[in-house]
Amino acid sequence: MSCSCVSVRRKYLHKGLLRQLLLDFRYNLSVRPTHAPTEVVIELESQKMESQLVEMCMESATESRDAVEAWRRQRRTLESMPNHLAEALLHRLLGRRLLFPSLLEVFKYCVEEIDLRGESCVDAEWMAYIGAFDHLHSLNLSDCDKINNSAIWAITGMTNLRELDLSRCSKITDAGISHLTTIPILEKLWIPETGITADGVVLLSSLTNLSLLDLGGLPVSDSALCSLKVLGKLQHLDLWGSEVSNKGASHLKWFPRLSSLNLAWTKVTMLPSLPSLACLNMSNCTIHSIFEGEGQKALLTKLILSGATIRNVSEAFIHLETSSLSILDLSNSSLNSYCFLPYMSAISDLDLSGTSAGDETVEHIACVGQNLRHLNLSRTKLSSAGLGILAGFVPNLETLLLSYTAIDDFAISFLITMPLLKCINLSGTNIRGIINDVDSESNSASSLSGLCDLDHLERLDLEETRIKDSALVPLPSFRKLSYLSLRSGHLTDTTLHQLSSNRSLVTLGIRDGVLTNTGLYLFNPPPSMRILDLRGCWLLTEDALLSFQQRHPQIEVRHDLLSIALIKRLSVHSPLSQATPRTKLYTNKKGGPSTSPLRSNRDRYLDQRLKYTREELLAMSFGSASISRDNVDWIPHALATDG
Amino acid sequence: MKKEDTVKLISAEGFEFIIDKKAAMVSQTIRNMLTSPGSFAETEHGEVTFPEISTTILEKICQYFYWSLQYASGKETEFHIEPEITLELMMAANYLHT
Repeated sequence: MSCSCVSVRRKYLHKGLLRQLLLDFRYNLSVRPTHAPTEVVIELESQKMESQLVEMCMESATESRDAVEAWRRQRRTLESMPNHLAEALLHRLLGRRLLFPSLLEVFKYCVEEIDLRGESCVDAEWMAYIGAFDHLHSLNLSDCDKINNSAIWAITGMTNLRELDLSRCSKITDAGISHLTTIPILEKLWIPETGITADGVVLLSSLTNLSLLDLGGLPVSDSALCSLKVLGKLQHLDLWGSEVSNKGASHLKWFPRLSSLNLAWTKVTMLPSLPSLACLNMSNCTIHSIFEGEGQKALLTKLILSGATIRNVSEAFIHLETSSLSILDLSNSSLNSYCFLPYMSAISDLDLSGTSAGDETVEHIACVGQNLRHLNLSRTKLSSAGLGILAGFVPNLETLLLSYTAIDDFAISFLITMPLLKCINLSGTNIRGIINDVDSESNSASSLSGLCDLDHLERLDLEETRIKDSALVPLPSFRKLSYLSLRSGHLTDTTLHQLSSNRSLVTLGIRDGVLTNTGLYLFNPPPSMRILDLRGCWLLTEDALLSFQQRHPQIEVRHDLLSIALIKRLSVHSPLSQATPRTKLYTNKKGGPSTSPLRSNRDRYLDQRLKYTREELLAMSFGSASISRDNVDWIPHALATDG
Repeated sequence: MKKEDTVKLISAEGFEFIIDKKAAMVSQTIRNMLTSPGSFAETEHGEVTFPEISTTILEKICQYFYWSLQYASGKETEFHIEPEITLELMMAANYLHT
């Protein structure tokens, strides 16, 4: 097995994980990370290459170490290379583990952006070369464990560096700040969850060109924040988890251009009037009042108050101009009233999951439903009758999440009145898929057939419902359905075969079903299918799953047995020689994120895993058997067939 | 072969490659040059000069044009690229949008 072969697959593994990560973020809106997933989106898009021959050249140039040797001395060509090609080449080499410090030198003149996030190998030697990049504009070193104060000494005085990301480089301390202050043109700086203290933050006041400053998770005090007043160009300030209180918050009005502010997990209860603000995150705060004070009112477009406690809503929101608000997240917050909702005429994205909202709240939503595109009412007290109130008032709704509410089959007739629906989540509801509640199932009609009329429906979640095979008969006639997730002990081979005639399905999950080997053998998957999730289908055997994989190599099959089989295979191929990474990873996982409420565990989990080599992944599975199950589920079959 | 159906691609060193117009159209850049309504000299004479592309690379590019046509018609062969020329070819391909 050649080295490059492994790395190619590793690349796809990453892509798959990223994509899944994105899906998770979009649909499991209940798990909201403090770090927005936008960066991941950008990365996926940047991997798109513009032309076929360029892509083929890129493949050939990064095929092996020998291939690299063949071109690395073509200095003049490299110098004249357009930077987007050079950057793509550099990152491709990185992804294939072919990049090493001295090779970096060939990119010295042609690269403007380097993204090394999560690369555990990046150390002071790498930085010594990167420091010599004349045109470097943006450098991302987030999650690079080996980066410390002396390593970033190399970037001292860089003349073109405008963006620097040192997120979660825990070895960076106040002493490292002195290296950063030698780059006065720095415009964007991310230093969340580093070892920097309030004293270090004070030093940042000399970086007067900063427009973005992320200080998340740092012990920023009120006085430290006060010393940052001189940063008049600041537009984006992240202070989540800091020690800032109401006193510090009162200094915020000194930033005349501030448009985005994150104060999540702080003690701030009262926020002064900030006229320039467009986005505000005060999740997990106790809120008494927002924007109290004289002057122009802020035209907020995005407000995130998930997990916040608001004792008196009318008092807290009295100064808030709600007419411009388009995104409002109140998930898991505790509120006593939703009387402000009818005034939010521009609202397009509303998240009320896990709140006390009930049918009477829905009446308020109906008043402003005209522009609503995404609505999350999961884990609320909503009933089918409540959904009926929305019928006809939300003509533009695309996403409707109703999981773990008390709605039943009658709700489906109301869903039909929302013609643009793309994504519906009905997991954990009382939906049975049958209208006639008679014991004799022979003469009952499937309620899901109503959904056929939703021409745009792409995603349907029906996990943990009491749905049976017969209720799923209408599904093949859903023309655009690409994602279907089912999880029920009542589902049998019949469901699998019914769905084989659905030509648009890409992802199908039938978890915990009683599928049999014969059923799987006879299953003829639609050509579009890429992921088949059969976790918890306990009747299936490893041989049956493997032979299905062989017959349909384009499909990634997920099953508990396959994950176990994969680990067995890996352990045969590579002896456990990776003692160091194992212990390191182990402590990482145990001590780190799981204890902190400030971080999203899953986010962290996946991010971490992206940088593991196959051996490390294996070592981890052995090292921490108790928590490895989740990891195991994520390994796609591409690795299983490796060898 | 009629003259109207071919184009002449000229490399930096002055070597001339006469290829089918259909093949050359694989490149979005050449397509634009040959089909644009303006009075490009290229449109009139069916000749395109590439002062930045060396003969070796232009030859490879022409091979790619034909390979691409074959590939599109369903003949799935491999197009081999020697690692030595990957950088220059990549830059040329980027310029030609192919």
